[in-house]
Amino acid sequence: MKTIFRLSLATLTAIVASRVAASPFATSGAGVGTTLGNKETASTNAARSSDPDWLAIKHTPTGQMFKWPLVVPKLANIARDAAGWEYSGQVEVGYVGGDADERNAQYRMYQDFDQGAYLNNFDLTMKKADGSFLGLSGGAAGRRDQYYGANFGHANSWTVKLYFSETPHVFTDSYKTLWSGLGTETLVLLPGLTPGGTASTAADNAAVAATAANPANRTSLSLTRKRSGARLDLTLSASWKAFASYALEMRQGARPISAVWGNNGGTAPIEIAEPIDYDTRDISAGLSYAAGLNAFNLRWSASIFDNNISTLTFQEPYRIAPQGFTTTPAAGAYTVGRFDLAPSNTSQNVRAEFSRKLPEFFNGAITAVVAAGTWRQDDNLIPYTTVAGITSANVTILPGGDWSTVGSLSRPTAKGKIDTRTADLTLSLNPSPTLNVKMKSRYQESDNNSDPYYAVNPNAVYVDADAGTAGNQTRGLTYAGLTGVWGRPLNDATGSGGVLYGAAATPTGSVVISNKIYSSKQYRLGPTADYQLSKTSNLTGSYERETIERTNRERTKTWDDRFKLGYVNRDLPRNTTLRTSYEYGQRRGSRYVTAYYEDAMSAAIIPMPTTAGANVTSWAVRNNGALRNYQLADRNQQIVNVRLDTMVRPNLDAGLSLQFRESRYPGADYGRGKDSQDSVNLDLSYQPSAKQNIYAFYSYQEGRVRQTSIQQANNVTIGATTPLGVITPENAATIGSAPGGPFYLLNNYWSAKSKDRNHVAGVGFKQEFSKATFNVDYSYTLGRTRLAYQYNTGGAINAANAVFAGDRMPDMAVDASYLDASLRFPLTPRLSARLVYRNQWERIRDWHYRNLDGSPVVAANPAAAPTLVALDGGPMDYRVSWYGVMLQIKL
Amino acid sequence: MNSRFSVIGLRLGIAIGALATITMFSGIAANSRAAAPATQPKPAALNGGATYVGEAVCIACHAPQNQQFTHTVHADVFRKNPKDELQQKSCEACHGPGSNHLKNPADPTNRPSLIGFTKEWGTPVATQNNQCLQCHSGGTHMFWDSSLHARNQLACSDCHNPMAKVSDTGLLKKQSINDTCYTCHQQQRAEFAKRSHMPLPEGKMSCVDCHNPHGSTAKAAMKADSVNETCYSCHAEKRGPFLWEHAPVRDNCTTCHSPHGSNHDKLLTVARPFQCQQCHDNTNHQTNLFNAGQLVGGGAAPNSRAIGRSCQNCHSQIHGSNHPAGSRFQR
Repeated sequence: MKTIFRLSLATLTAIVASRVAASPFATSGAGVGTTLGNKETASTNAARSSDPDWLAIKHTPTGQMFKWPLVVPKLANIARDAAGWEYSGQVEVGYVGGDADERNAQYRMYQDFDQGAYLNNFDLTMKKADGSFLGLSGGAAGRRDQYYGANFGHANSWTVKLYFSETPHVFTDSYKTLWSGLGTETLVLLPGLTPGGTASTAADNAAVAATAANPANRTSLSLTRKRSGARLDLTLSASWKAFASYALEMRQGARPISAVWGNNGGTAPIEIAEPIDYDTRDISAGLSYAAGLNAFNLRWSASIFDNNISTLTFQEPYRIAPQGFTTTPAAGAYTVGRFDLAPSNTSQNVRAEFSRKLPEFFNGAITAVVAAGTWRQDDNLIPYTTVAGITSANVTILPGGDWSTVGSLSRPTAKGKIDTRTADLTLSLNPSPTLNVKMKSRYQESDNNSDPYYAVNPNAVYVDADAGTAGNQTRGLTYAGLTGVWGRPLNDATGSGGVLYGAAATPTGSVVISNKIYSSKQYRLGPTADYQLSKTSNLTGSYERETIERTNRERTKTWDDRFKLGYVNRDLPRNTTLRTSYEYGQRRGSRYVTAYYEDAMSAAIIPMPTTAGANVTSWAVRNNGALRNYQLADRNQQIVNVRLDTMVRPNLDAGLSLQFRESRYPGADYGRGKDSQDSVNLDLSYQPSAKQNIYAFYSYQEGRVRQTSIQQANNVTIGATTPLGVITPENAATIGSAPGGPFYLLNNYWSAKSKDRNHVAGVGFKQEFSKATFNVDYSYTLGRTRLAYQYNTGGAINAANAVFAGDRMPDMAVDASYLDASLRFPLTPRLSARLVYRNQWERIRDWHYRNLDGSPVVAANPAAAPTLVALDGGPMDYRVSWYGVMLQIKL
Repeated sequence: MNSRFSVIGLRLGIAIGALATITMFSGIAANSRAAAPATQPKPAALNGGATYVGEAVCIACHAPQNQQFTHTVHADVFRKNPKDELQQKSCEACHGPGSNHLKNPADPTNRPSLIGFTKEWGTPVATQNNQCLQCHSGGTHMFWDSSLHARNQLACSDCHNPMAKVSDTGLLKKQSINDTCYTCHQQQRAEFAKRSHMPLPEGKMSCVDCHNPHGSTAKAAMKADSVNETCYSCHAEKRGPFLWEHAPVRDNCTTCHSPHGSNHDKLLTVARPFQCQQCHDNTNHQTNLFNAGQLVGGGAAPNSRAIGRSCQNCHSQIHGSNHPAGSRFQR
């Protein structure tokens, strides 16, 4: 036993030492990482034997069968050492063969399985009569989904919990890299590819295609999440408890993203690999008290996120001609691009919760919460481009203002800050033994106190010859107290339209000159009444108004009114429990303003031209004026929930649940007009004896979304005659954004309907023979999505293309099958064997990736700049069949 | 933020906070004077005025139950280190005093003489739950009374089985948190079976990573105060705040994502580009009807806005950008 104890301590020490220290299998109210295990955990447990001494099937108060307890060491047989430690445990090791090493990304998305020797799991429990205890568990040793946990302490006094868990996330196994340095901050093109491309696009296309086709360059992109933590829980008394926790999560790897060049829709977007190297530290501590009439919790938590790779610089294999903004340098000089990746940031939150029972005031109770938090980031900003010496026709760069330096920025750091505040108060009263009434109120604020960022180069001026610029031509333009050249060179300075007067002397009203700061306040208030119709049935009703005030959005205010009725009866015939509810919600709001961000556009600096014939589209049109963002639009929503649990027989349960949810957006002539989701679920569970268990389930879900739009048409020109009238400076914005105007021609109307259908079915059984246990779980998933559209030929799609467009996209389809079978039988009192068989396959069709894997360079012709270089081939089918021979050793 | 709103909000927050603080401390003070610990057993109020008989009497008849119960954390607490008189009662701490039960233990009509936690036994749910709340009030259970589960008349033992160590933690009725939740939330089980999903089926995440089944003041029993704060607890890189923010992203992650699962890539609610086009009817390509002809091999010229990552072929930093030129989320 001493050896076991030492081994346990050694393992524990190793875990702690390797991961600084760890945190919680957090309580249900705090933190994440609440479970330890992996895909194999359920399979392992399913083959364990049931307790033959357990008396009978019992049901939960709702009427669902409790799971028959598994066999546990008999009290008389629990091993004890000389020091008084009782201990029990097991380890499962074995060998896996077959196709377990399949590399398919769908198969490996969140699991890591391979052929060969395998430590599937282990656990050890040690206890002493004085309350001391130690537990160790773990599994998948050496794999990317491994996990380990330890807890020790003194029962009801203190507990330390440690854990370490890895989770892989495989994004693709069909990535065709053109670069070395995947996972780092610099991607260098492989031999055969030319940074900045060559004079021949055809040659560049051929080189990229050849590199992508080289099997040696095909790889997977994934990250691994490693989370470890420690948590100390103290039971100070029956009333007082405290905890402190620390967790460190490290994510490392790479994922595919896309990078575009140029502008006006972009040129040659190409899938690169974003490096992931994140460290997140979560720290929290709290104190709670509960006794008598009072309870309160105090909690502080902090999250510190560090991105160890702040930028991604990649070489570009094509010769991208700058589109209008620059005059020098010429094409060929743009060899690299640079991303600014997610900024390091911190978050803190302080929270106090309090409840008090009010027995002498209608037998009531009150709960109150106040919380305050802050999220901050102040990363150093990077310059607009890595290319030095960029000039353009209408701009003179002053010393220190080169676009490749931070001197071209209006400030050097991000200065981002959001403060959050929450207050919640609930009063609960029981005016009679059968009636409970609650009044709930809540205030929540997300106050974005970030400094506005102005896209202005303070060390640049417009040239004298720029006739379109008002005022002194040798100065920059002044807005919001800042002076310089406004706008931002797009896409490493290859894009046009990003800088006011950058490409041409003619101004536009749609150059972005500042960011927008989004804040919100939320108020919720409403009563709930719960009336007890009988000892086993209740009727509830509630009303709630939720008001949200937002800054810099289409609506400054929206309010939702929700009415809900619920009925519960736990004593219907056949011991049936019915839970059902109906909810109606109606959202309305203040005036909807489509062009709510005018002060962030160059229209705020340069007034709309008023002369006849002037093209004022960039001032007049921001969005379809009749479109309503479904997040803010008027909405009428209905939700019906029905849940029925019935004991068909004492050993046979049936459960039926239905949900129907429908949202209509009555004011949205364009945008999302309606969505719905309906679900039907059926469960059966049959347990004729301790040795037999059979279950089956089936779910059907159907989701629909309907949306409409109008494809853009003609410019908005002062003096032009349109069906809505002659355009003037005064009505240009109204007519320009209106359906039926010159820009949104009604003939260009189109609509789309997306319909998801999903069937999920499962069946399984467990049979215990005199010595052996056989368990089978099988599930089948079928998912289909049909996206159909309607349009006028010659409108949104011309006649020539309508032939190819048809009326819908190809259906998206997923079929997945999963079979797991285990046969467990004892070899000796301490040794059992488990034979495992797994058959798993998935077939997937996604039109986004159709025909991409074999031809990643998508171009109109071999000499044209590619429409897309799709280096991720997308999701693929797989079929896996493996077997395992495992040995289970009891300690 | 409108300054008037800020002032109103601040005042409201201060008022509620002050009320809560005053109530809290006055309550604690009053309670201290009352000096009546909540966990004192109330035998007269339970089981028809029965008296405690001690766990040895219970075990004499219920050996199989004791066999399982001994392996639970409750047994360790009650038997090895009880913190008060109630916890010392062991079996009767939960089931109430047992003397009346002994008078006729096999008679179904005598069931009211003991508190049971099964459908068969028939103890009212409120009575059952009150037994649990004797010890499990406050802490993460503080908002149980106003929780969705309480409103739907769930008993603690609808999810928990305190008599057996069926699960690794939490004394659940099933072997895992997720399996326990799925017994009622089958719809979510089906959603987790979809093409893109959180790693719950793979055993790497549980429902209570996001939700507190014992109640919270947030919607959908979320553990954090908002949807986004819940998501940021794992996706801290999306917390920002970014130099250039995407308004609906800052507002609510579920504007675009179905958190439990989706037929579409990245948990999206609708396939791209149609997902984005529900809001973006702006000038330029956002208004175009991208169609089957524009897929690779579709017959017409392929369009990068339809294939691959669709809109994110260019706007790859859609959650926000810290690049000075990132207003279009392209860097």
